[in-house]
Amino acid sequence: MTQPETKDAGIRFHLRFRSTERTVTVSEERLDQARHVARRVLSEPFQRRTWSELAFLLISGSLSVVGIAFLLATMASGAVLAVTFIGLVIIAASVRGTRGIGGWHRALARHFLDEWIPDPDPFRARPGFFGWLQTALRDRAGWRAMAYTVVKIPLLAFSVWFGLSIWIEVFLSLGSPVWGTGGSEPDGFGVIRNVFRPGYTGLGDDRPLHRLFVFAGGVVLFFVAPWAVRLVVYLDRRLMRLLLGPDAMTARVRTLEQSRAQTVDASAATLRRIERDLHDGTQAQLVALAMRLGQAKEELAEGEEADLDQVRRLVEDAHRGAKEAIVELRDLARGIHPPVLDTGLEGALATLAARSTVPSELTVSLLSRPTPAIEAIAYFCVAELLANVAQHAQASRAAIGCNQHGPWLRIVVRDDGRGGAVLTRVGSSSSGLAGLTDRVKAVDGHLGIASPPGGPTVVTVDLPCQA
Amino acid sequence: MSDSIRVAIAEDSAILRDGLVQLLADRGFEITGAFSDAAGLIESIATDCPDVAVIDIRMPPTFTDEGLRSAIELRRSNPQLGILLFSQYVETRYAAELLADGAAGIGYLLKDRVADVSDFVETLVRVASGGTALDPEVVTQLLGASRRRDSLSGLSARERQVLALMAEGRTNAAIAATLVVSEGAVEKHVANIFSKLGLPASPTDHRRVLAVLRYLEV
Repeated sequence: MTQPETKDAGIRFHLRFRSTERTVTVSEERLDQARHVARRVLSEPFQRRTWSELAFLLISGSLSVVGIAFLLATMASGAVLAVTFIGLVIIAASVRGTRGIGGWHRALARHFLDEWIPDPDPFRARPGFFGWLQTALRDRAGWRAMAYTVVKIPLLAFSVWFGLSIWIEVFLSLGSPVWGTGGSEPDGFGVIRNVFRPGYTGLGDDRPLHRLFVFAGGVVLFFVAPWAVRLVVYLDRRLMRLLLGPDAMTARVRTLEQSRAQTVDASAATLRRIERDLHDGTQAQLVALAMRLGQAKEELAEGEEADLDQVRRLVEDAHRGAKEAIVELRDLARGIHPPVLDTGLEGALATLAARSTVPSELTVSLLSRPTPAIEAIAYFCVAELLANVAQHAQASRAAIGCNQHGPWLRIVVRDDGRGGAVLTRVGSSSSGLAGLTDRVKAVDGHLGIASPPGGPTVVTVDLPCQA
Repeated sequence: MSDSIRVAIAEDSAILRDGLVQLLADRGFEITGAFSDAAGLIESIATDCPDVAVIDIRMPPTFTDEGLRSAIELRRSNPQLGILLFSQYVETRYAAELLADGAAGIGYLLKDRVADVSDFVETLVRVASGGTALDPEVVTQLLGASRRRDSLSGLSARERQVLALMAEGRTNAAIAATLVVSEGAVEKHVANIFSKLGLPASPTDHRRVLAVLRYLEV
């Protein structure tokens, strides 16, 4: 035979088989892979994971037997009694109980497999017995746990046949020097005996060669068994994730609940901020104003003896205070809802760009007007981002882009500052970018920041036009 | 009469703080210190020994009720110090907490009251000399929220007016002046109120306030 040509550096093996001689070159890389696989296979029976999985197989298998027994007993009696009301109650209890057993399966998976299957929504019964009954009968998680309990049975049978039986084989074979090979009949149960039908029994019982053969087979199987168990446990993992975790709809509902909670929190925070601004700003201004006018009034009440200079000073102070209060109130009102937004996003952004302390260039291309909520979010995003640019970026220029891409509104604020902006800031400014992200997420939008140290900083906000 | 009263102020709004300092100085009070937070005030008390402290309830760092907390603290360490809490809101809970250790030398006023300068000054003097002052708004809320509304309805309209003024911490003389009646008439009303509500007659004004507040189950 011709020698295989290879350019790889590697190790040459000279093989002589019958009268043919050939040289095989194995590349270093391949050799490494082979070593790795061998090491893995040889070490696997001694890994904690292997034994955890075996323990899981045994315990969750037992639990499944209990589960199916419970299920069959309750559903059968429920079905028999279905004509009466009691039947419904039993079925509801069955659903509820199976959900509980599903929870135990999740706990086992967590403990033995490190498989964290999120809990489905907790069972929240409506008040009263009938509320409980209705909730239990309609409990999706409970019915899905039932499906798991049922499907788990054939899987369990397969697991015992394919996984557990190999370990039993290992146990019997490695122990054969002690207790002989008498137990290894070819027509027993398990993948080895049913599929491979080991022919060694033909040698007859308890001949030394036979014993050696069985023992060697046990050693080989010792390294095979972990992988067989892993396969069946993998199938169970898939099944659990499918049927014992929250379903897709529940997951979506959860996301929505979260974003709703964030929105509620954000609006509560906004109200708190407004209250604070009013309390510390306008209200204090007005109290001081009333105080000065009160003083002036009482001074004037003294008639001829009134100190007119002091009164004049007090009234001047009060006048100045009133004007300041007006300005503060106007700024505050604009912070709640800028009136310019009523005329459209373009005009509002133009005002923002013009008012920005860092020279800003604005490009807007909108095909249609987004909904008012989106316009407001877009406006406050740009306002906040420009304020950030002015405060932190040390930038000389900023550019604002606001473009519609199909159903999406994309806002890009770019500056040539020092960069290094991050989403989560600690302390007082955390309400800035993080607060924006919450606001954007609430409408299923997205906020991305690219801000390498040294700049430039580009913040991209994508918002759905209709929300 | 307010010549020598020494006042310390804790108020985080600069504009109000300056206004108060100016107003009180004009009225002949001696300002021992004006602070933007409670910590500064507490530190100064030992050295400055003011007669009365005017304390804003909401101050840094948490902007919740640190003024109230420090008032309670000061109350324990300096029982002689008069304390006038000053707030833009009235919360009956605050009044209840503050008065838990007795009502002598305690005042709780809305900031708005400062606009009626003479009334405000009078209140401050009262608190400095160990009297009690509750904002009319606080008293209205207390009377409105009281679980004893049934027995309050047994009072005549005039008696209820007197009860409210009593709860504010006013003396019989002041009540008489406010209602434009004789002091004797006020005394008669007070006696009636006490007997109708089953309260023990109390000699001093601030004890009277406490009795009324206890009755209202603050």
